[in-house]
Amino acid sequence: MATTAALALPPAAPPARPRILLVGTALATAGTLMAFAGLIGVYLAQRHAVLAQGGAWLPEGTTIPLTPGTIGMATMALSGVTIWWAVDAVGRNDRPSAYLALGLTIMFGLAVINSTTFLYTQMGLVANTKAGLLIYAVTGAHLAMIVAGLVYAAVMTFRTLGGEYHGRDREGLVAAALFWYATIAVYAVIWYAIYVTK
Amino acid sequence: MALTETPPETVDAASATDASPTPSQPTGLAAVLGSGDHKVIGRLYIVSALVLGLLVVGLGEGFALEGIKPETYDIYGLDSAFQLFTLARIGTVFLLALPLLIGLAMVVVPLQVGSRAIAFPRAAAASYWGWLLGAALLLGSYAINGGPGGGSAEGVDLWIASMGLLVLSVLLAAVSIATTVIALRPAGLYLARVPLFSWSMLIASIMWLLTLPVLFGLLVLMYVDHRLGDSVFVGSPAALYPNIQWLFRNPQIYVVAIPVLGLLGDVLQTVSGARMKLRGVAQAAIAAFGLLSFGAFLVAPSEAALDSFLVIGMGLLAVLPLLALAASCADLFRAGSFKLRAGVIYAVAAFLILLLGVAAGAVGSIPDVLDAPKGGALADNIFFLGVSHAAILAAVIAGLGGIHWWATKVGRQPASEGLGMLAPLVLLLGAALTVIPDLIAGIAGDGLQRNADFTGGYAGGNAAVAAGIALVALGVVIAVVSFLPLLKRRDDAPADPWGGLTLEWLTPTPPPLDNFVADLPVVTSAEPLIDQREET
Repeated sequence: MATTAALALPPAAPPARPRILLVGTALATAGTLMAFAGLIGVYLAQRHAVLAQGGAWLPEGTTIPLTPGTIGMATMALSGVTIWWAVDAVGRNDRPSAYLALGLTIMFGLAVINSTTFLYTQMGLVANTKAGLLIYAVTGAHLAMIVAGLVYAAVMTFRTLGGEYHGRDREGLVAAALFWYATIAVYAVIWYAIYVTK
Repeated sequence: MALTETPPETVDAASATDASPTPSQPTGLAAVLGSGDHKVIGRLYIVSALVLGLLVVGLGEGFALEGIKPETYDIYGLDSAFQLFTLARIGTVFLLALPLLIGLAMVVVPLQVGSRAIAFPRAAAASYWGWLLGAALLLGSYAINGGPGGGSAEGVDLWIASMGLLVLSVLLAAVSIATTVIALRPAGLYLARVPLFSWSMLIASIMWLLTLPVLFGLLVLMYVDHRLGDSVFVGSPAALYPNIQWLFRNPQIYVVAIPVLGLLGDVLQTVSGARMKLRGVAQAAIAAFGLLSFGAFLVAPSEAALDSFLVIGMGLLAVLPLLALAASCADLFRAGSFKLRAGVIYAVAAFLILLLGVAAGAVGSIPDVLDAPKGGALADNIFFLGVSHAAILAAVIAGLGGIHWWATKVGRQPASEGLGMLAPLVLLLGAALTVIPDLIAGIAGDGLQRNADFTGGYAGGNAAVAAGIALVALGVVIAVVSFLPLLKRRDDAPADPWGGLTLEWLTPTPPPLDNFVADLPVVTSAEPLIDQREET
C-alpha cells in the first residue's frame, strides 16, 4: 500500500526555512489596509452626505494646494522603485547598491513626511470641523504608517549591513518592501480622494 | 522590527527537526512573565478570560434582573445603566469570548500543526500583556465615569484608547496564530490536511484581521475627534457606542464563533475514529461561514443598508455552511464508532446554540419579519441582542469545551469527565433560556425596542433570561471546577486520552518547551495517527 510504503521511510527531511516573517508581514499589511479602507470609507461617506445636501465639504477659507500632495505622490512612487532596487541588489549580492537603495528609500519617506507637514501649514484647516477632523485623521494615520514602514526598512537595512540577508535569503527585505508598497498604495488613494478631488 | 524576532529559547525549537535535548525551562515568576512559550501565554489568556468573564456574566445577570421590571432602575441606576450596558456588551466579546478562544488556540494550534513553537512568540506574549493592560484600562475608564455616555472627558478618552489596545492585541494574536498555520507546518501537512480546529482558527484569524482593523481606524477617528476636535464626528459620548454597534450584530458577530465549527469537526472525528471523507466540504463550509461573517461594511449602517440584498443574502446563506458541516460530521458515523465524551457534549451544545443564533439571524434578515422599533435603529433591537448572545455563548461553550478536550495539553492531566458532562448541559440550557426569550420578543413584535433601563423584551421573558444567565454562570463555574485537576501533576497522565488522530496527541502531558519529544512522522494524510496505527 502506498501509504504504508511512505510511512516506512525515515523521518521527514528538514523543511526549507519557512517564510514566517513574510507571511506575518503580509497578514499585518492586510490588516493595515483594512484600517485605511475603513477610515477612507468613512471620509468618503461623510463627504458624500454633505455634498448631497448641497453643502460645501471644506470650510470657507480653506484650500488644499495640490502641489505638495502631488510631489509627495511622486516621491512615494520613486521610493517604490528604490526599494525594489534594494531587494534586487541584495538578490545579486550587490551590497553597496543595496545600501544606497535602502538609504534613498528612507530619505524619500522622510521627504513625504516633510511635504505632508508642510501641506498642513498651507491648508489652514482646523480639526473642529468634520472635514478637518477626517483629513487629519486619515493623513495622520498614514504618516504613522510611513514611520512604521521606515523603521521596518531601517531595521532590515541594519540586518543587511550585519550580513543577515544575502542572495539566497532576502525574506526580511521582501517583507519590508511589501509593507512599503502598501504604504505607497494607501498614499495613492489619499492623494486622489483627498488632495485631488478635495 | 523587534516583534518579528524569535526569542532565543524558541528559535531552535521552531526550526529544529532532530530530537535534540529539551532546553532547560525557566522557573518561577520568570517562567510566566518572560515566557515566549505559546502554552504559557495561552494558559494566561484562558485564566484571565475566565476571571474577567465571570465579572461580565455577573454584569449581564444584573441587566436581566433589571429587565424584570422595565422602566425602573432597580439595580444600576439612571446615571450608570447605559455605561454598564456597553461594558457588558463589549466585555462579552473582548474580555471573555475572544481571549478564551485565543488562549485555547495559542496552546493547541502549534501542537496540531506539528510546530515546535508559535510564530512570533514575542508578538504572542505582547498580545497577552497588551490585552491584559487594555482590559484593566477599559475597566478603569468606566471606574472614572468614562466609556460611552461617560461624564468624564479623560475617562472617555481612556475608553477609546483602551479599546484600541484591546483590538491591537487581538490582531497581534491573530497574526501569530494564522502565521503558525500557514508557515510552520511540517512536510506533508498541506493546508487541506490541517486539523479542523486549526483550520477554523486560521479562518477566524484572517476574518479578525480583515474586520477589526476597521474598528481600530474608527477608534483612531473617535479619539482624534474627542481629544483634539470638538466631537464633530461622534457628537456626545453616548454616540460612541452606536458607531461600534456593527460589531455586535450579524453578520459581524459570527466571526467570534467560527472556531465552534472547528471544535465540532475535530471532536466528532476523533470519537468516531474514522477518516473524514467529506473533509473538503467541512473545510469549505468553515471558510464560507468565515466569509459570510464579514460585517465591516456595516460601519454606522443606515436602515437602507440593513435592508440591502447583500445583508439579507449573507444572513440567509450563513445557515448553509453550518448544515454542510453537520452533514460532513454525520457522515463520519457511517464508517466509525461513537463514544459519548464530555467534549462531544460541549461541541454539540456550542454548535446547536450557534445554529439557533444563525437561523434566527437569517429570519431577522428578511425584511418586514421584524417590526421596526419605535424611534430606534433596527440594529438596536432586542432580537439581534438574542442573535449576538447566541454567537457569543456558542464561542464561550466551545472555548470551555476545547479546554476540556485538550486538557492534557493545556494542563497536567485530563479534566473531570463527570463534571465535564454536566457543565455543557447546564450551559446549553442557560444559553437557550438567555437567547430564546429575546428572539420571541422580537418575532412577536412586542418589546422589540430597548426599554429606558437598557433591557428589553417581555418582563416575563426577562425572568427567563435572568435564570438563563444564572445557569450560564453556574455552567462556567462547574466547568472551572472540572478543570481543577489540570493544575495537579500526575506521573501517569495519558498523552492521548481520546485515541486522537492528529499530531497534538503525540506530545507528552504536559507538553515540553519544544512540544515534541521525538521526530514527527512524515504526514501523508489528514489523520497521521491513523496512518501510524495502520503501520504498526
